[in-house]
Amino acid sequence: MRISTLFVLSVALLSAVDLPGQGRGRRGRRSTGAPPPPPPAAEAKKEETKKEPAKYTAIVGGDVYVGTGQRLTGATVLIADDKIEKVGHNLKLPEGTKVIDAKGKTVSPGFVIVQGAGMGAGFSGPYKDTVNPFAPDIKQGLAAGITSFMVGSTSSRGRLGGSNAVIKLAYGDVEGMVLKENPVVGISVPLDRSAKESLTSAVKAAKEYLAAMDAYPAKKAKDPKAKAPKKPRSADQIINVLQGKTKLWVALGGGGFNPFRAMMGGSANASDVGSIREALEIAKLFGKGVVIQKPTSAWLIADEIAATGSSVIVSPRTRTPADPKNPDRTGSNLASAAILAKVGVPVAVTPPPGRFGGGGVGTGGILGQDLNTPNVDAAYAVRGGLDNRKAIRTLTLDAANMMGVGDRVGSLEAGKDADILILDGDPLHYSTFVTTAVVNGKVVYEKGKEALYRHISRTNH
Amino acid sequence: MSTAKNNNLLALTVAAALTCGAIQAQSTRPTAFTNARIHTVSGKTIERGTLVVRSGKIEAVGKDAVVPAGAKVIDATGKTIMPGLVSAWSRAGLRAPTSRGNTPTRGGRRGRPSRFRPRSSGRTSNSAATKVIDGIYIRQPIFGKLLEVGVTSLALNPQGGGFPGLGAVLNPAGKTREALTLNDEAFVQVGMQRNSGAKKLLKDTFAKAKKAVEEREKPPEPPKKPEAKKPEAKKPEAKPAAKPGEKPAKPAGKDAPKQDPKKPAPKKEAPKKPAAKPAAKPKPKKPKDPNVEVLADLLQGKRRAIVEINSAADLLHWRTAVSDDMKFPRMVAVTRHDTTSGTLDKVVDHLKKWECSVLLPPLLSTQPRTSHLIHPAKKLHDAGIEVGFAVGESPGQVRAIFFSLMELVRSGLPADVALKAITQVPAKALGIDKRTGTIEVGKHADLLVFDGDPLSPTGTLEQVWLRGSRVEKDGAAN
Repeated sequence: MRISTLFVLSVALLSAVDLPGQGRGRRGRRSTGAPPPPPPAAEAKKEETKKEPAKYTAIVGGDVYVGTGQRLTGATVLIADDKIEKVGHNLKLPEGTKVIDAKGKTVSPGFVIVQGAGMGAGFSGPYKDTVNPFAPDIKQGLAAGITSFMVGSTSSRGRLGGSNAVIKLAYGDVEGMVLKENPVVGISVPLDRSAKESLTSAVKAAKEYLAAMDAYPAKKAKDPKAKAPKKPRSADQIINVLQGKTKLWVALGGGGFNPFRAMMGGSANASDVGSIREALEIAKLFGKGVVIQKPTSAWLIADEIAATGSSVIVSPRTRTPADPKNPDRTGSNLASAAILAKVGVPVAVTPPPGRFGGGGVGTGGILGQDLNTPNVDAAYAVRGGLDNRKAIRTLTLDAANMMGVGDRVGSLEAGKDADILILDGDPLHYSTFVTTAVVNGKVVYEKGKEALYRHISRTNH
Repeated sequence: MSTAKNNNLLALTVAAALTCGAIQAQSTRPTAFTNARIHTVSGKTIERGTLVVRSGKIEAVGKDAVVPAGAKVIDATGKTIMPGLVSAWSRAGLRAPTSRGNTPTRGGRRGRPSRFRPRSSGRTSNSAATKVIDGIYIRQPIFGKLLEVGVTSLALNPQGGGFPGLGAVLNPAGKTREALTLNDEAFVQVGMQRNSGAKKLLKDTFAKAKKAVEEREKPPEPPKKPEAKKPEAKKPEAKPAAKPGEKPAKPAGKDAPKQDPKKPAPKKEAPKKPAAKPAAKPKPKKPKDPNVEVLADLLQGKRRAIVEINSAADLLHWRTAVSDDMKFPRMVAVTRHDTTSGTLDKVVDHLKKWECSVLLPPLLSTQPRTSHLIHPAKKLHDAGIEVGFAVGESPGQVRAIFFSLMELVRSGLPADVALKAITQVPAKALGIDKRTGTIEVGKHADLLVFDGDPLSPTGTLEQVWLRGSRVEKDGAAN
C-alpha cells in the first residue's frame, strides 16, 4: 500500500508535475530517493487513476498563527490531501479547490498536548491495534482544540522505559490516529547509586559503539577483515536517544504517585532544585537535552536548564505550596513559563493534576478536570508574563518537538500534516471557541454541527 | 463421488428430521388457508389470498389460488400469515439446561439460571473446523419453546473471538441430535476483537487460507480452475448455490466429528483425487490443517461466514488486518449497538464494498452522550445494505421482537423491510433461503398465523406451522 503510494508520488514528481513547494513532507521527501521497485507497478497503476489528483482544500482569509511565533493577517492555508501545501498571501489556488472561508477568524495549528488520556486511545500499546476512531471524547478534544496528544507512561524507575504513543484525533480514521508509537522513553530521578552507575556505564558503552560504527566504514576500507563492532546488550533505547530517534523524558520525585499528597491538593509533582539538577546530570550524560516533567522550582535555575538544551513541561495553573524548610523547593510560580522561555528553554503546558492525581487532558475524571481547555493553561502562562505569540508554542511546536514529532505537527508550514484549527478569536482567550478543526486534511469537527457547544454564540471579543 | 454421498447424507438428514418431528402423522391431504392476508416477503402482500400446503410444502399461493378437492380448509379471515422466523444468531442449547429445582446451579443462586459461560475460551484461536454441534446439549425444552413463539429455523453460533468454529442450522422440532441438525457446517463463524492478538490472528490465518487456495488452484488441470473461480467471481451479487447438496468441496460429511485435526485431512484428499485425475498423484507432503482448509473453502466461495463485528471502529480495524479484496460470502453480525465505538451506520461505505448483509439488534440507538435517537437499521437500509435482525435467543426475547419492530417501523423503517429482516435475510445468511424464509411455491410451509397484523400491538401470534404441520403448545409439530 505504502510502496504503491510512494511510487505514485515519485511518478508524479519525476514527471515534473507542477507541484509547488519542494519540502512536501514525509511522502514527498522520501519519494525523491531511489527509483521505485518494479513489482508493485501494476498495482500502483490501478491506484494511480484513483489517487493521482490531489484533493485541495484552502482556508482563506484568516489571521494565521503559523505556530513558530509568526502571524500572517488575511492569509491562506492551502492543503493538498493530508499535508499543508503552502501558507501565504494571495496564493493561486489549483482548480477544484474546496474553499473554507475564515475571514475574521483565527487560524492556528492544532494543539499538541504532552499528556493525555482517553480520546480514542487505547489503554496499552501497541496503540495502533486498539484505537477507537469513533470515541465520543474525540469530538470533545477537538472542541478544545486538541489535534494530537501523547498517551501512555513516560516514566520508569531506575532505567529507561515507558510505553506511549502520540495519538491524533483523526475521527473515523484508524490508520491516521497513531502518529508515532513510543516516541518517548522516560526515567525517574533521583536514581539510586547502582542504577546511576549502570546507566552511566550503559550510556558510555552505547556511545563507544556508535563511535565505532561511525569509524567502521573507513576501517573496513582499509582492512577488509575488520569486524563490525558489537552492539552492547539491551542498549537499543539508549542508542535511540543518542541518535535523537526518541526523546528522553525525566520525571522528578521518584515518579511514584502519592495518593495522600494528591488528595491534599495535588502537589505530587513538587520538585526541588536538587532533583532538577539530577535530571540535568542525565542530560549531560547523554549529551542531549531532556524533557523535565513539571519541575516547579525550575525557574530558580533557568540558565542551567537552558545550558543543557533541555525542555520543560509546566502546569501554570497548578498551585503547589513551597517547603518552608527548604529554600530549594519553591512551589509553583505563575511566572515560571515566562522566566524559562526568556532564557530560551522550550516550555510546554499541561493542565494541573486533579484531586486524584494524573494531570493532562482527558475526559475521564470529574468536573473541572474534564473541561479540557488547554488554551486556558497557556493563557495562565501569558498571565505570568509569557509573550502571547510565544505562548501558543507551548501548545504547538515546542510541545511537538518534545515528543519528537515536530517534523509532522505543531506549525503551519509546507509539508507538515494538515492539523488546523479555525477559531472565533485569539487562540488563548478563554471565551474562544474552535469553529472548525481539520485533522489530516479532513474536517473532523464543526461547532455548528456537534451537540457540544453549538448553542453558545460568542459575544465578547 | 463425494457429491452423491453428501446428497445422500443430507437427504437422510432431512428425512430424519421430517420423520422425527412427529410429522409422520401427516397425511397427503392438503391444507388451505383462505381469505388470509399473506406477507409473502418475496413479493407483494396478498390481501384475501389463498395458501395451499401439501406434504409440508407450499403448493400454491395467491389471490386466486385454487383450493384442491378434499383439502382441509381453514378460514383465515382477519388473519395474517407470514413466514416463520429465522434466527441467525443464537446460542440456545450451548449452555447446560439450568435446573429450577433446589439444586443450586454452578455460579448462580438457587433457582436462578447461572450466568457462567461454560464454553467461552476468552482467548482467540483458529479452530474453524470445530463443529459447534458437538457441544450442544440436546435434551432441553428451549428449542421447543422457541418454536412455539415462532422460530422455525435456528442457527447455532459458536462462541468466541477469532475462528471459533462451524455454526449449525437446527430444526427446532428435533428431539435427537440427528433430528435437530439440519446442517452441521452451515457457516463459518468469525469474531473480530480490537486488540493486537486478535488482529494478528485474523491477518495470519487469512494469509494461510489464501495460500491454501493458491495451492488448490495450481495443481489440478485447467478445466477445474475456472470452475473453482466462477462462484468466487459471482458471489458478491448473488450468494452461491445455497443448497447443501451442492457443496462439492465440503470436507467429508457429518459422520466425521473433527476431534483429531489430522484425521479429516486425508479424508478430504481421498474423494478429491478421483474427481481430479486418477493418474496424477498429488500426495500431500504434510497433513493439511483442517482449520485452514475450512477457511480456504470460504475464500473460494464454497462456504459462507457470519462475522461478528460489533462496532464501526472494529470494522475499520478489520480492514487494517484483512484487506478488503479478500471477499467471501458473509453477513456481519452486531450483537449490540456500541455508541462509544460507533454504530455500523458510520461505516456504510466500507460495508457496501463488502457487499454483505448486516444482522442488527432490533433496536434504535442513541448518539453518544446524548439522548438523541439514531436508527442504524434505517440508515443502512437507505444506503442499500440488506438488514437483518437478531430475533433473540430466549422465548421472551422472541416474543418481544414484534414490539421492537413496531418501534423501528414507526421510526421510518419500511414494514416490508422489517419483516424481511427476520425471515429472508437471515435465511440467506444461513444458506437456507432456497427452503424457507418466504412464502413461495415449493418452499417449506414454515408459517406464522397472526390474528391481526404482526406489526400492530393488537396482533397476536395464534398458530405456528413447521413444514406443513401445526405446532402444538408443547413444541412438537403435529
